[in-house]
Amino acid sequence: MAIADDEFRRLIETHQRMVFSIALRITGDYSTAEEVAQDVFLELYRSVEQLASEDHIRYWLRRVATHRAIDALRRQALRPVAGADEWDDDRSIEGDAPISSISLQARLEELLRALPEPMRVVVVLRYQEEMLPDEIALLLGKSVASVKSHLHHGLMLLRRKAAVTMKEYVREPA
Amino acid sequence: MNQPEELNHEFEQDQFERELTRAMRSVDPPEGFAQRTMARVQSIVPVRAKVLLMPRRVRLWAGGAIAAALLAGVFFAEQAHQRRQREEAALAQRQFELAMRITDHALEHTRQQLWDAGVRFGN
Repeated sequence: MAIADDEFRRLIETHQRMVFSIALRITGDYSTAEEVAQDVFLELYRSVEQLASEDHIRYWLRRVATHRAIDALRRQALRPVAGADEWDDDRSIEGDAPISSISLQARLEELLRALPEPMRVVVVLRYQEEMLPDEIALLLGKSVASVKSHLHHGLMLLRRKAAVTMKEYVREPA
Repeated sequence: MNQPEELNHEFEQDQFERELTRAMRSVDPPEGFAQRTMARVQSIVPVRAKVLLMPRRVRLWAGGAIAAALLAGVFFAEQAHQRRQREEAALAQRQFELAMRITDHALEHTRQQLWDAGVRFGN
């Protein structure tokens, strides 16, 4: 635990956006995300001596934040996880608010929160953290094929739902 | 016929993924997050760890200061102990000398009384 308060505070300030955003996008809940992010930094405090460099710390934080957020999501069951089958029926889609009344980004975030957990996690790591599938596989301890499959299906489901709820993604027939 | 459709589809995918990337930019945590996290960190740190968290130079300095204070304490305690012993010895010497003077005086007084009574010892 040989890290001074000033130095540890600097680490928090450097990485808090990344850690909090991962926690928020996976859990989908603001206060849970803060709790998860704080827990991740407490864990970092206990382990920081074993981490050799800033890159190592960043990788460690990303990995632990992802796993802790998944744990929190499973533990608290904040949202019923949608099954992929539900997404096949466009009539079951909720919240068809006109796109003009809600920002595109906020709507995409809302769609993301409704994705099944394994797909949501890989989509977050791919598009928020801009990680490659093999990096995601390493971080999650899964095969690259599994990650690519989740990514593919996650994107497909997002597109399908977006096509219904966000009309600019639907091509008008010629 | 299919080619333009596929190209359009690819374009849509790219556009969608770009929007997704934009939507998923990192967001700021709630205000005061760093302070609250530091408060939690400090609440779990025991005193020993706080000492260990000091910079090496400060730890060395603090260790030296503590050692010097201990040595000074032992030195001054020893000095005080020796002074007290000397004072007690001097007091005892003064009391012994006073007692001896009193005894001498009493013996002299007795001898004088015996002399006056005509008692003689020895030659």
